[in-house]
Amino acid sequence: MYEDVKMPEGMNPEVLEHLMAPKNYGKIEDPSGVGVAMDEQTGEYVIFYIQTDGEIIEDLKFATNGCQDTVVVGSMFSAMVKGDNIQNGKKALAKMELKLGGLTPKQRVCTDMVLEAFVASLINREHLLNGENEEMHIIKMKESCEVEENE
Amino acid sequence: MNKLYQAKHELWLDILFASFAINDKQIKRDLYNFSTIEFRHMKWLGDKVLKDGDDYNYDRTKMLHKRESVFDILRYLIVELKKISALYGEDILNARMITDEDYMIHHIAALLDNRANDAQITAFNMARKYADKNLPQEQTDALTIFLFEESYKEYELILVYAYMQARTTNLTHFNVFQDLIDESHFHLQSFGEMMAKMGILALPRELHSMTYIVKDIEKFVIDGIAEEEGAKEMCKTLSDAIHDDELKRFFDFVNYQESYHIELMKKLL
Repeated sequence: MYEDVKMPEGMNPEVLEHLMAPKNYGKIEDPSGVGVAMDEQTGEYVIFYIQTDGEIIEDLKFATNGCQDTVVVGSMFSAMVKGDNIQNGKKALAKMELKLGGLTPKQRVCTDMVLEAFVASLINREHLLNGENEEMHIIKMKESCEVEENE
Repeated sequence: MNKLYQAKHELWLDILFASFAINDKQIKRDLYNFSTIEFRHMKWLGDKVLKDGDDYNYDRTKMLHKRESVFDILRYLIVELKKISALYGEDILNARMITDEDYMIHHIAALLDNRANDAQITAFNMARKYADKNLPQEQTDALTIFLFEESYKEYELILVYAYMQARTTNLTHFNVFQDLIDESHFHLQSFGEMMAKMGILALPRELHSMTYIVKDIEKFVIDGIAEEEGAKEMCKTLSDAIHDDELKRFFDFVNYQESYHIELMKKLL
């Protein structure tokens, strides 16, 4: 499962498609969970909405005010886990995290922000299932998008 | 939320991006001018919505349709212009919007009477070749990313400043927002035209309310200044990377404009 997980590599037709029409972009009314990853230093954020039926991720959408790397990763990741179960979604997450080392520092932070927002949406779902009153779960990023490219 | 406002927002984008997609200079100019009228409608409508104690947002449902020919685009615009009329009421603003759009429909229909106005649309062919220039792959890639980043950013700035302008009672702020909106319209037009030339024309993605509902204006301005600095840096990097005098001059020109944006933004502090 997700052995061949994809990360954006340069400008190819697939990346261009994600740039021109990001998949699963937007929001879900009455979702099962909402999560935000926030870079307080720059004000950049990624927000994920998930809609689950039992353990199946029936639908998920994301939005961001971040850069195009963030959009492409959000589009690719959401397309990959939509329709799968939460357990496999977490596996996809782990596979993508393993690949973070091969990215530039900026791409790494952007990708991490997408993945953290997805994690936050799962946490929010858990909290709501446990009867907590939480509008959305927010994770503050430790690293900022403003990392130097020559870091 | 206000359905007419959403429809007006989408219609503005429809006409604006049609103007980018079409190569004929006269049709392009006419449609661009119509799009600026639609944007003003949007502003007036937003003011009225707020005055009536209601609110609006920037939600969208429409996608950019990749049309094959100029006539396909023009026919689509007529359908959309006719569709919005069903949402209008009966006050003086609505009457103004109806008469403006009646004229637009008439003008576009007249274009359809002349077969010579039809042509193939190349704005979506993903060829990524900038007009007659032979840019190497890495320069083409850099230009592609820049255009996606900055076209979204300019669209975002237009809407965020318009949202804040509609809600300010400070005249200095109102004027600064107007200057910044005007500047971003010019940049969005420039970048949209370049994207169409490269065959990668795409609608900027939708704005989430977290982006345009600003709770702390000081932080917003400070972040915005840092973003302008980032945009300046991107223009400079691109200008250095692209070995073409015309494009280089253009990106230097945009870079210097960003410097003055920072001065304008400081007036908001």
